Amino acid sequence: MLKKFNLGHYINYIVIGIITIVLAVITFSGGRIDSSTLFLLEKIAISIILAVSLSLVVGFLGELSLGHAGFMCVGAYIGGKVAALLEPMLGNGVLTFVIALLVGGGIAAICGIIISIPALRLRGDYLAIVTLAFGEIVKSLFQNTSDETFGGALGLDTPRFDKKYLFIVAFVLVLITLAVVQNFIRSKHGRAVTAIRDNEIAARASGINVTKYKLLAFTLSATFAGIAGVLYSFSNYTVQSAKFGYNYSIEILVMVVLGGMGNINGAIIAATLITFLNTKLATVLTGDLAVLQNLLYALILIVIVIYNNAPALKSFRERFNLGVLWRKLARHKSDPSVITDDAAKWDVVPTKIEMNEVLSIDVVPPEMKDNTGNGGDV
Amino acid sequence: MKFTKVLALVMSLVLCIGLLASCTGAVNYAAENTEYVIGVSGPLTGGAAMYGVAVANSAQLAVDEINAAGGLNGVMFKLVAMDDMNDATKISTNYSSLFEGGMQVSLGTVTTQPGLEFKNLSADDNVFFLTPSATGDDIPANDNGYQMCFADGNQGKVAAEFVNANYAGQTIGAVYKSDEAYSKGIYDQFKANLDSSVTVVETSFTDANASDFSAQIDTLKSCGFIFMPTYYTPASLFMTQAKDILAADAVYYGCDGFDGIDNIEGFDISTIPQKVTMLSHFSSKATEGLAKEYIDKYVAKFGADTLNQFGASAYDCVYAIYGAMKKAVDEGKEITVTISASDLCEILKEQFSGGYTFENGVTGQNIKWETSGYVNKGAIQYVIKEAN
Amino acid sequence: MELFLSTLINGLSLGGIYAMIALGYTMVYGIAKMLNFAHGDVIMVGGYIIYVFMALKNPWLAILMAIIGCVLLGITIEKLAYKPLRGASPLAVLITAIGVSYLLQSLAQIIFGSANKMVTVYEFGSVTIFGVHMQVSALVTLGVTVVVMIALTMFIKYTRIGRAMIAVSEDKGAAQLMGINVNGIITITFAIGSALAALAGLFYLLKAPSISSTLGAMPGIKAFTAAVIGGIGSIPGAMLGGILLGMVECISYKITAIAPYTDAIEFSILIIILLVRPTGFLGKKRREKV
Repeated sequence: MLKKFNLGHYINYIVIGIITIVLAVITFSGGRIDSSTLFLLEKIAISIILAVSLSLVVGFLGELSLGHAGFMCVGAYIGGKVAALLEPMLGNGVLTFVIALLVGGGIAAICGIIISIPALRLRGDYLAIVTLAFGEIVKSLFQNTSDETFGGALGLDTPRFDKKYLFIVAFVLVLITLAVVQNFIRSKHGRAVTAIRDNEIAARASGINVTKYKLLAFTLSATFAGIAGVLYSFSNYTVQSAKFGYNYSIEILVMVVLGGMGNINGAIIAATLITFLNTKLATVLTGDLAVLQNLLYALILIVIVIYNNAPALKSFRERFNLGVLWRKLARHKSDPSVITDDAAKWDVVPTKIEMNEVLSIDVVPPEMKDNTGNGGDV
Repeated sequence: MKFTKVLALVMSLVLCIGLLASCTGAVNYAAENTEYVIGVSGPLTGGAAMYGVAVANSAQLAVDEINAAGGLNGVMFKLVAMDDMNDATKISTNYSSLFEGGMQVSLGTVTTQPGLEFKNLSADDNVFFLTPSATGDDIPANDNGYQMCFADGNQGKVAAEFVNANYAGQTIGAVYKSDEAYSKGIYDQFKANLDSSVTVVETSFTDANASDFSAQIDTLKSCGFIFMPTYYTPASLFMTQAKDILAADAVYYGCDGFDGIDNIEGFDISTIPQKVTMLSHFSSKATEGLAKEYIDKYVAKFGADTLNQFGASAYDCVYAIYGAMKKAVDEGKEITVTISASDLCEILKEQFSGGYTFENGVTGQNIKWETSGYVNKGAIQYVIKEAN
Repeated sequence: MELFLSTLINGLSLGGIYAMIALGYTMVYGIAKMLNFAHGDVIMVGGYIIYVFMALKNPWLAILMAIIGCVLLGITIEKLAYKPLRGASPLAVLITAIGVSYLLQSLAQIIFGSANKMVTVYEFGSVTIFGVHMQVSALVTLGVTVVVMIALTMFIKYTRIGRAMIAVSEDKGAAQLMGINVNGIITITFAIGSALAALAGLFYLLKAPSISSTLGAMPGIKAFTAAVIGGIGSIPGAMLGGILLGMVECISYKITAIAPYTDAIEFSILIIILLVRPTGFLGKKRREKV
């Protein structure tokens, strides 16, 4: 049976694909695009890949990763180094790029697996801190390498891909990222991941292999962050580890939150918007005003998260949200009996059912309950 | 029906983008210029702001003087300075807006880290730059880049020679910032050129702990001579925290990053008992010659707070570029106001690699450049403050 | 021997500061079950308040204002940002906390600029004991930390509010049923944590008389590491974890070969502890997942 063509599933491929093709035609037909525009396009592509891959962990798995820039750092350094080594032999072409991508993405994937080991044992705050620690460790390790290996404090010199064509490669990578991530989410694996997010114990009870899916989601996310890193190394002449700090991880998180957690298209739009603003604001807001940008990020995080999650605002949210507004505008008749099967549309992290606690009280072994306490415990 | 609607939307979007990117082939962004445009990117705010501001002010001072004297054959100069907060990731944006804004020749970047990105971007478009203060060894690696300051390797080497001559057979201390290109670069060269008879007690810090130096001070507390290739902010903090712990007759020896340490708000260098010295090509306490003239002019216009060798060097850069352009014109080259950056770069490269001499500078006499882009001039040992 | 003693004193005083910050984390975590990411930045605010009031040249007034200011700030943050999210998913609370941390940093930068500000609160000078030259401020830091730690333990053990805190941390629902004002207790916890942060800010200024908007970020994360090492929710644990971490940091800076990797080493310890013993050294085992 041929499935009905669902435009909603493919709209982002179509839009990004057409934009890429048009710009590519302009470039190949000898037209000129300013380098500032080219740089912006490259940055947007990198941001989209990062935001979409982080969305997989934050939006769909429901865990916070504060070390996304760390995975990117691994990809950028490893990919950049591989490219620098290959350049004398293979030239600065697509072949070098593909090998660098595979190696950089691969090593980042291995880091993802390493990080998912604590991820399997820890949740929430602790896991967030572990990812943050991972990011800082990676940064500090690359910072202190010798000049011959990864350039140390001076940064690694990497070959830059011809800027006229790099954005095409970058957007092809965006499409690949989208294809992999969206297919993952829309498959039964994706449903398993969202089930773990909504209630891990219930998911486990339904026979979902929690270990496997957490590992899968983390690794996939890390791989694409690594690929974004390789792309970064190709769009810059130097890779300097200072870039991949905590602040950059937060910037990616802002994109995911602004786009609506678990909403891929939202993440794409937010990534584009924030990167665009960043670049444009950088020339307008100079000096101490530059920090207004961070202020904006902070407000986005606070306001959007409280608005979307505060229990007291629940009824307000249900009456006034973009979905309702859109349906009103488009006179869209939604049939409540049709349940959407698109996991990518499950965009609000539901409030947890307090199942953890209900279950855990029953199974606490007596010796662990002893609260004789040393008095000082809070 | 819905599909066609969306498709129409997408197509119109694409058309808009297509229109934005006009199809005209390679252009000369300077075609509309009415003045020669000099661009520079530096930290106008943040931890190294004193340098960026000094460079922007001094370059403006030089530009104003040249314009007041009639410019180059009646054509005026214009300086455009952008803020990069000493952050390399801001350079691609800064560079492209400078270049697309009609920049024809550049002073590069004020600091090293952003300069590493700048040198390659400018090489792609063939834009000439003469940096006043980006000291990295690799900064002039491409043939479009030149330095007015000493390269880090050179500073490290000169410092090592000084130590070899004065502290042979003794133990000295050294502290550097391990995640900063400038600091690490100088230190590595310093160490490589040091005699084996000198023992170094070394310690380092990173950006994450650049305000608390108790562990580092403790390591160096018995040293009588401390080599400190860092910028002024951490140096001032180190000195404040170490003043009672180090011997009162100990000597600090820094490189050009020490410049301006006697002008920091809230830090009174006279409370530091130890002697503070630095390696420099300019003394802000000069009492004669061009340096004195420059200091008087700068202080009158911008005050003494940001007076340092970075500014002096930038002042020289503008005059050196002006001088080279003038010499080329005298030799029969044509430099129109709308000359493209690339064409001007070829002319200037020929001058700078062809034995052009900048005779009377604030930071030295008869300054010449090697084909590698390194500057060739003398250095002075500058005492910022004697021991109390 | 001299090296050992001076490293010990430095490590203890740095550890004291970490312990002071870790206390704030551990109390809030124990009672509100949330990681207050903005805690480190309250330290920075405390430092800036001291900087502002030191214009009047009265250290005691400046310290008092810093404590009052930080307490008010802590309560405000709790009321405006965290209270609306009580009952929401932990992810939402965590992201909001990061947002608050970012907000404080950028506000500080807008108000005071990005350059470091220098402020000398008080010149303690240095003394030589047993042939070891040491900063008096380090000893003061250590002394005050111990006093505060004892006072806090007494407070929690012997006062009604303190016991109510223990009750809330054990079981929020049951505590409410017993007539304890849970919201009030949470507010008091934030107030105490913020007052400790103000003191930590003071100690940082005594150690290094310079302040910038990121003063609290790294110490905040390290102190959280200390709280985890000691066992989150435990006051003696915070002290132990803080001092352990302070010692590790000082020793690591002493060894040239590994000095540049100090941060990496501290974070690796955190990851290892979390993997091997997620409850830390003195923390209680809980069935409940964290």
